[in-house]
Amino acid sequence: MAHDAIVAEELTYSYGELVAVDHISFHVAEGEILGFLGPNGAGKTTTVKMLTGLLKPKAGKAVLLGMDVAGNVEKVQGDIGVCFEDTNLYEQMSAVENLKLFARLFGIRPFDANALLKRVGLAGREKDRVETYSKGLKQRLMVARSMVNRPRVLFLDEPTAGLDPTSAEAIRNIILEERERGATVFLTTHDMLEADKLSDRVAFMNQGKIVALDTPHNLKQQYGKRALKAKIAARNGELEDREITLDTPETPQAIRELFDQEKVVTVHSEEASLEDIFIRLTGRGLYG
Amino acid sequence: MNLRAIGALISKDFFLFFRNRFFALMTALGIFFYLAIYFLMPSSVDETLVIGLYAPVMPPAFELTEEEGLEFQMAESEVALKEAVIEGEYLAGIALPADIMDRFASGQKPRVNVYFASSVPEEMKDGVVVLIEELAYQETGLGLEASEPEILGPDMMGMQIPPRDRMRPLFAVFIMLFEVFGLAVLISEEVERRTIQALLVTPMTLKDLFAAKGAVGMTLAFGQAVLFMGIVGGMSQQPLIILATLLLGGVLVTGVGFLLAALGKDMMSVMGWFVIALVILVIPSFGVVFPGTVSGWAKVIPSYYLVDTVHRVSNFGAGWGDIGYNLLILLGFAVALVWIGIIALRRKLQ
Repeated sequence: MAHDAIVAEELTYSYGELVAVDHISFHVAEGEILGFLGPNGAGKTTTVKMLTGLLKPKAGKAVLLGMDVAGNVEKVQGDIGVCFEDTNLYEQMSAVENLKLFARLFGIRPFDANALLKRVGLAGREKDRVETYSKGLKQRLMVARSMVNRPRVLFLDEPTAGLDPTSAEAIRNIILEERERGATVFLTTHDMLEADKLSDRVAFMNQGKIVALDTPHNLKQQYGKRALKAKIAARNGELEDREITLDTPETPQAIRELFDQEKVVTVHSEEASLEDIFIRLTGRGLYG
Repeated sequence: MNLRAIGALISKDFFLFFRNRFFALMTALGIFFYLAIYFLMPSSVDETLVIGLYAPVMPPAFELTEEEGLEFQMAESEVALKEAVIEGEYLAGIALPADIMDRFASGQKPRVNVYFASSVPEEMKDGVVVLIEELAYQETGLGLEASEPEILGPDMMGMQIPPRDRMRPLFAVFIMLFEVFGLAVLISEEVERRTIQALLVTPMTLKDLFAAKGAVGMTLAFGQAVLFMGIVGGMSQQPLIILATLLLGGVLVTGVGFLLAALGKDMMSVMGWFVIALVILVIPSFGVVFPGTVSGWAKVIPSYYLVDTVHRVSNFGAGWGDIGYNLLILLGFAVALVWIGIIALRRKLQ
């Protein structure tokens, strides 16, 4: 059985009167990808800062790889990699220089920057100054930097935000490769499809609290609404939409009536998305 | 302390500092500029007061006076004398009447015209008038019997400090401050571009970060100041004291750099605060360059003890005993400023 790589116990942080993170508890197993979802201001980044030792919790504690973060910040930070949402590279340095700097900070010797850059698709641009890179290339470098020390826990904050589909897919593949290697991935994202595709489990965060945490499948089962959607031909010749909610006592009768009384043109079943579930749980969308 | 991380960060900061064309140019051209100004300035002080004289008849007292630090240069006419005074060739112009000796002989007061350029200070005008009156008394046999002048303290006659050596402490402070401006911008850019977050999720601590930034600031400020002082001969007397003073000065300005970085949000705002700091910190230097222009209150400005020590040691050869008190106060100010700078920066980073 896998051990927990991340354990949060009643983790709390407030900025003055504003409680950003309100007594949240969860755990992430080694080798697991946890999708951490929530709208702007939900407390995701503050949670990541506490887990990575950038902020000291006001209450509760964070345990990473069996070590209390507050008392072992440097040890913990030697085993983690963090990719921030905002690009924070040394833009006047090249990709190789950026990576070599961080390899020195981690004490990694010898270090093959070119191999890592090749892995994230930056071969051929390694000696160019970062200021000449597109957003996609910078994001790839950010991901590469977070992997310099072959971290056991990888924190990725919106790693694919604003990227073209090719760059986004490349980064998703790297995340999956890291999981294969055995790394635990804490993935913060707005992209529900991405979270659904990559995450073993997802946590919904809203107003400083975790409102749901489970596998995407279980969440859909528990909170989602399955429906049958049909298009029927109306008497005036136009197409009309019909929706029948599944899994209710009235469902069989409603389906019979649909096919008996209407001229059905198309029909398909629809499963709830994570976004639907989030809206149902919080009353607002991820971008709200 | 994580020495490995500190070393990595110091290398990175120097790399970025000199990759930034503005700072690289400012560092290279800055020292060249100050050196050029220094060597273009006069290396000695001419203590002779040159006074223009139009004298159809030369009274003997005027000829004697030339041996006493006064030099009379003869003008061809009173009009030529006035023009030369306006041009600044003479401190003053004296036009004696043609019948001056006759008037002396008959007991009448001759009328002497004295001309000054508008820029001549009032006390200098009074001095020249008194000189003429004294010469007249001597001419008529009524000169005062003054004893041989007795100098109380070291006689500085012929040992006046050349203007360029007076400027040396000012240049040293300028050089140091400009270097920490670069340090402040490097730090504020780390915060503005959030690279500091990336650093702080590695095994590097805030203490390591401050140690690295402090070392960079110290090396830049101290190194440049030592280079300058070495080239201009500022360390020919008591080099150890000068090195110790510049080292403490380096710590002091590094503290200022931390404060600037804490106050500023980007390069422009850091520059704004830097100008304010620069104006305050160079005030004591003016007291050295222009004696009498700065009052005792300048002693509350930390750089006073840097400037005063450099001035007294490099220009007068003062020893440890003479400036020990200065160095103690400078050390106190340096430690206090670094401490305040770190507190302010820590608050900003957290």
